Amino acid sequence: MSPDLHHLSGAYAVDALDTDERSAFEQHLSLCSACQSDVHELTEAAHALAALTEAAPPASLRTAVLAGIGQVRPLPPLVVDDAAQPVGGDASTAPTHDEPEPVAGEGAAVARHAKVVPLFRRRTTWIAAAAAAAVLAVGGVGVDAWTSQEPELTAVQEVQQAPDSSTVTSSRGELSAELTYSRELGRSAISMTGVPPAPDGMTYQLWYVGTDEVARSAGFIEPDDGRGQSVLEGDLSRAAAVGVTVEPAGGSDAPTTEPIVVLALG
Amino acid sequence: MMDRMTAASSDPPVTDSEGAAARGPDLTDLLRRSARGDEEAFAGLYDATSRRVYGLVLRIVRDPAMSEEVTQEVYLDVWRTSARFDAGRGTALSWLMTIAHRAAVDRVRSSEASRRRDDAHASATQEVDFDATAEAAHTSIEAARVRKALDTLTEAQRSAVELAYLGGYTHTEVARLLDLPLGTAKTRIRDGLIRLRDTLGVTA
Ligand SMILES: [Zn+2]
Repeated sequence: MSPDLHHLSGAYAVDALDTDERSAFEQHLSLCSACQSDVHELTEAAHALAALTEAAPPASLRTAVLAGIGQVRPLPPLVVDDAAQPVGGDASTAPTHDEPEPVAGEGAAVARHAKVVPLFRRRTTWIAAAAAAAVLAVGGVGVDAWTSQEPELTAVQEVQQAPDSSTVTSSRGELSAELTYSRELGRSAISMTGVPPAPDGMTYQLWYVGTDEVARSAGFIEPDDGRGQSVLEGDLSRAAAVGVTVEPAGGSDAPTTEPIVVLALG
Repeated sequence: MMDRMTAASSDPPVTDSEGAAARGPDLTDLLRRSARGDEEAFAGLYDATSRRVYGLVLRIVRDPAMSEEVTQEVYLDVWRTSARFDAGRGTALSWLMTIAHRAAVDRVRSSEASRRRDDAHASATQEVDFDATAEAAHTSIEAARVRKALDTLTEAQRSAVELAYLGGYTHTEVARLLDLPLGTAKTRIRDGLIRLRDTLGVTA
């Protein structure tokens, strides 16, 4: 990631980037927590300037607006597993970005603006994220997702067939992850689908997150055409959760971005 | 320094009060109710914020008829996406103003409008200077506070921030308007906003 992009946070906060820069920065923003917090604060500061330009709109506008909303149904809230939400919202990668469904009669102009909401990621600790993810935890063995791959299949099967094998899943939009693990073996295997391609020079890194909230690298997953699976490296025994983050190629010693997926272990 | 500390301790931070526009109703609550289809709550939201939204749009777009159009689009969009507002990511007012600012900027950058603005480039520099801003402001406590905060910026930072935010210009255009080397404007904008943030006591 070019460090230059960090310096665009101010211009982004006041919508002063041109279209190409804007999308490049939004992609960066989705991965850079420093910029997320910059943009958050600088946007807030910039909007203070609007106190200087207040002007009363004509009364007819109020009438038009209130008549207009009568014909538009508010979108439902996003009811997804919060923990699986990609870093920085869905600025560039996640499929939900393709919403707004245009409302009949409203015209493209209105729909277009649905994208403008700045995409800040709420700061969640890994454990909190994992706790939210735990709602989706299911017991038993999830075999179906594991049917077709070659080299790691044996290891995957080994985990699956362990007597205490459990599976947890997490999904958001098209992105979905399934982790099968065995405390007895101290091993786990992850399968993901709907994974957006990693940005240039970046890779998806796996982490075991301990009850102490310390994340330890557990190898990588390299999705092909959005799908991938991997047996995690290292020992599961002290882990409370498994996470996936986007990291510079070659991996990091500790996560440098917020996880796109967190799976809590039972 | 003294000034800054005094300002920080005696005035409520913008983020806590959600600014003057929110002196009355709780915007977050109104937005939540709007998401459930409560048109009365939405009317309350409109009444509490429309001066701020329309004023900003008008400042950027200039043309009153077009500004009304944009403002209407903004509110319809706010109504439609109200359920997607996440209080964990910022204040309701900031969310709404972000939609408004982006909509106004998008409008002036669409071909027709921007051509008209290009002709006015030279005069715009004068027009968007601080005096024009001060003149447009009324005597609200918040406006006074913001003006005071703006005073802590260097002249160069203030011009860059004002041209970008209140003028709706890209940083490239700002550089040209201020006769700066390309790439310098975005630094000035950022530095200016950081100072504004620190003075106003905005926290994430
Ligand atoms: Zn950054």
